[in-house]
Amino acid sequence: MTRAAPLRRRAGVAPRVALALVWLALPLVPLVLWAAADRWSFPALLPTAWGLTGWRQAADQGAAAALGRSVLLGLVVAALATPAGAMAGRALALHRVPARRLVEGLLLAPVAVPPFAVVMGLTTLTLRAGIPGTVALVCVLTVSALPYTVFVMRSAYTGYDVGVEEEARTLGAGPRAVLLRVHLPLAAPALATAAFLAFLVGWSDYVVTLVVGGGQLVTLPMLVGALSSATGNDAVVAAVSLTAVLPPLLLLVATALLARRGAR
Amino acid sequence: MPARSPSRRALLLLLPAAVPTVAVLGAALTVAVLQSTGLMPVVGEPDPTTAGYRALAGDRALLDGLRVSLGIAAASTLLALAVGLGTALLARTTRLGGRLLRAAAAATVPVPHLVGAAAIGLLLADSGLAARALAVEPGDFPPLVGGPWWVAVVAEYAWKESAFVALVVLAALAAGERELDEAAATLGAGPWQRLRRVALPLAAPSAVAAGGVTFAYVLGSYDVAWLLGRSYPEPLPVLAFRLWTDVDLARREQALAVAVVTTALALASLLATAALLARTARATGRTAT
Amino acid sequence: MSAELVVRGLVRRFGGTPVLDGVDLAVPAGECVALLGPSGSGKSTVLRLVAGLDTPDAGRVHAGGRDLTGLPPERRGTAMVGQRPRLFPHLSVLDNVAFPLAVAGRRRREARAQAAGHLALVGLADLAARRPATLSGGQEQRVALARALAASPAVLLLDEPFSALDPGVREEMHRLLADLRAAVAPTVLLVTHDRQEATVVADTVAVLLDGRIAQAGPAEELHTRPATLAVSRFLGGANEVPGRVEGGAHVSALGRLALPVPVAAGPGVLVVRQEAVAVTGPGDDADATGTVTRVTPRGARRRVEVATPAGPLSAEVGPGLAPAPGSAVGLVLPVAQRWVVPCPDAQRAEG
Repeated sequence: MTRAAPLRRRAGVAPRVALALVWLALPLVPLVLWAAADRWSFPALLPTAWGLTGWRQAADQGAAAALGRSVLLGLVVAALATPAGAMAGRALALHRVPARRLVEGLLLAPVAVPPFAVVMGLTTLTLRAGIPGTVALVCVLTVSALPYTVFVMRSAYTGYDVGVEEEARTLGAGPRAVLLRVHLPLAAPALATAAFLAFLVGWSDYVVTLVVGGGQLVTLPMLVGALSSATGNDAVVAAVSLTAVLPPLLLLVATALLARRGAR
Repeated sequence: MPARSPSRRALLLLLPAAVPTVAVLGAALTVAVLQSTGLMPVVGEPDPTTAGYRALAGDRALLDGLRVSLGIAAASTLLALAVGLGTALLARTTRLGGRLLRAAAAATVPVPHLVGAAAIGLLLADSGLAARALAVEPGDFPPLVGGPWWVAVVAEYAWKESAFVALVVLAALAAGERELDEAAATLGAGPWQRLRRVALPLAAPSAVAAGGVTFAYVLGSYDVAWLLGRSYPEPLPVLAFRLWTDVDLARREQALAVAVVTTALALASLLATAALLARTARATGRTAT
Repeated sequence: MSAELVVRGLVRRFGGTPVLDGVDLAVPAGECVALLGPSGSGKSTVLRLVAGLDTPDAGRVHAGGRDLTGLPPERRGTAMVGQRPRLFPHLSVLDNVAFPLAVAGRRRREARAQAAGHLALVGLADLAARRPATLSGGQEQRVALARALAASPAVLLLDEPFSALDPGVREEMHRLLADLRAAVAPTVLLVTHDRQEATVVADTVAVLLDGRIAQAGPAEELHTRPATLAVSRFLGGANEVPGRVEGGAHVSALGRLALPVPVAAGPGVLVVRQEAVAVTGPGDDADATGTVTRVTPRGARRRVEVATPAGPLSAEVGPGLAPAPGSAVGLVLPVAQRWVVPCPDAQRAEG
C-alpha cells in the first residue's frame, strides 16, 4: 500500500502540522542565531554582525574538556545501565518472574525519586565512608538510567521470538554462538536505543553533578549553567549549548539509521 | 506464549538492575530520613528530633515552595498533555506530516533540560527573540523570565515534555490503531466519531502514564526553575539545594527534609497515576502491562 | 437493506504496475459472490476499493444504484470483516456490536438492545459482557460478523474472514454464514484463495487472474466449462489435450472424440476434470489407453497418472480402485464432461 488511505485525508491538516513543527523547533532558533552572531543589538530581528566569536570564547572557557567529561560520563552510564537493563528486560518479557508487580515497580522507582534527593542522601554516606564523589555520581546516574533501559528492552523482548534461539540450538549452535550470532544481532536496534537513552541521562545531568562535585567537576551542562546564569554573553551561551545538543542529535540520527537497517 | 523457564534464571537476570537500584535508592532515602530526623547528625551524637521538619513547617519557605512546585508541575503537565496529545493525534492523520512531527519530537529528546532552559531564556527574555519579533521595548515586555508567573519555566517543561507525551502516545497508537480506524470507518464512523470513540480511548492510558511521569519529573527537577525562575519563592529542589550549600551545616538536615518531602510527593503522584491507570484499564477491559 | 453491487472497470496501480486492470463485477442483491484468486492477485484491493479504504485509478463502484466512488468509507454502507477481527479492545463485546449503531446516533440503550439481537444471531448472546481479548479466534470472528451486520450494510465485504481459523471452526463459520444469509439476506462479496470455501459459501464464483475477472459463474460451471486454460489450471484442472475441432468432434492424438455441444471449428484444447475420468481395463470402450506412471493419495481418493499418446492424463478414483503403477489401463472421458477451450488462449497461456 503506497498511498495514505483516503479516510486519512483531511482539510486543514497542513497548517496544524506547521504550527506543531514551529512549537517543537522554535526554542532552538535563538540558539542557532546567537551561535552565529558576533553582535546582535536590541531591536534587530537578525544578528547585526555574523561571526564565530561565541565559539572561540567557548573554547577559551574549556568547552572542549567539558565535552570530553560529558562524553565519558554518558558512555560510562550507558555501558553500565544497558547490559543490566537488557538482562532485566529479558527476564520480565520472557520469564516467569515471582512478585512481578513488585519487581516492576521497584525497577521503575528511580523515575519517582527526584535525583537531587537521591544524590543528597548518597553523598552524605559516601563522604563519611571516604568514597570518591565520582563513584556516587556514576551510581546515581546509572540507577536513574535503569528504568529506561529496562523498559525499552522489555518491550523489545516482548516482540522477540525465542523460537529463533531454540532453532539455532537445534542447528548446532552452542549458548555462546547463539548469544553472538542470533540473540545480540536481533536485539541490536533495541540495545542501541537503550544505550542512547542511558547515555543521555549521563550527558544531560546537571543537579547530580552539582551536588556531588560542588561545581568542581565541569561537564557541558555545568558550563551552560555557569555561563547562562552569569548574565551578558549570549553568543558563548549559545555556542556551548549547541555543543551540548549536536553530539547526541547526531547519535540519534545514527541510532535511527541503525534501527531502520535492523528492521529490514 | 513466551517460554516459561525456571524462575531462578529470571532472578539471576534481574539482579544486575535490581541490586544497584535497591542499594542506591534504599541507602539514599534511609540516610535522608535518618539525617533529617537527627538520627545521623553531621556533627555530634544521634538525637531523634523532628526539629528539621518543624523548623521548615514554621518557615514560609517550605509552604511557598510546595505551592509553587505543585503549580509549576500541574501547569507544565497539563500543557504538555494537551499539546503532546494533539500533536500525536495530528501526526497519525498524515503520512509526511506525521514523519516530520515524529522526527521533530524525537529531536527534542537529546536536548538537556538545562540547555532547553538557556534556549527558552534567549527566546523569552525581555530583550529576547520574541521581544524583537514583536517589536516590544524591553521595559514594556512582560517578565516571562523570572516573573511572578513562572512562564518561561512552564514553557520549557511544556515544550520538552509535550514531545515526550507525543512520542509515548504515538508508540501506543502504532500498535494497530490504523486498522481499528479503518474498521470504524467501514462501520459508519466519521472522522470525529473515530477520534472520540477509537483514537482517544486507545491513547488515554499512555497519555495518563506520560502525564504522571511528567508531573513527578517536573516536581523533582532543579535546573530549569533555578535558571529561569525568581529568587523567591523557591521550588522545592531549589530550596533544598540552597539549604544544602548553606554554610550552617545544620541546614543540611533541613535540605534532606525537603528532599524527603519532595520524594514523598513524587511517589504519591505516581501512585495516583497507577491507580488511575488501573481504573481506566478496568473500564476499558485492558490488562495493565 | 441489501443492495446490488456493481463494479465497473476498476483499475489500481501500485508504483506504476497495475494490480487491477479493469475489474468488472456484479453481485445481485441478497446474493453471495466469492472472488477467488491466487495470493497477490489483488483480491483484497478490490474489497478495499469497494469499501473506500483505497482510491481507484479508474473505474466506478455502485451499490443499489448509488454511485459510491469518491465517498468516504463511513458513508458507503459497506461493512467489512477481515482476516483479523479488528475488535475494539477498549469496548465490551456488546459495545463492539453496538458501535455502528452508536455512531449512527442511536441512544445507548436502544443500540445495546439491538446489538444483543445481532449477538444472538451469531450465537454469542451469553458473551456480551466479555472483553475481546478473552475470546477465541472463532468467537472473535463471530463478533466481527455480528458487528458488521449491525451496521445494516448495503453490501457485506468479507476479506478471507475464516482463513486464520482451524478447519473445524472454519466449517462451523461456513454454516453460520449460510444461516445468516437465510436470516437477513445481505449482499455478500467474499474474497478467498480457498477454492473449496468459494464453492461451499457462494452462489457465484468470480476468478480474478492477472488483474481481471477471468470468468464468473456457478462453481460447477467454472470447473467443467472453464473459459480459459488459466482458469482451468487455477481450479486444479489436470487434463489438457491439444488438438482441433472438426465437424462437432475434437481431433487429437487420442483420435476423434465427439463433443456434447456444438463448437466452432478450429484449434482447441480438450479439457476434462480428472474427477470425471474413469479408469477401465485397456479394452475397446476406452477413449485413451496408456501406462500408469504414478499413483498419489488424495485423502480417501487416489490420483492416477497415465502416460497416453496425447501426453499425461489424470483420473481420480475411489478407495481401493487404483491400479498399480506400470499397469496398462484405459481411460473413459465421459462425453457430457468434455469441454474445448479455444486455442488462441492456449497459445497465450503457454507462451
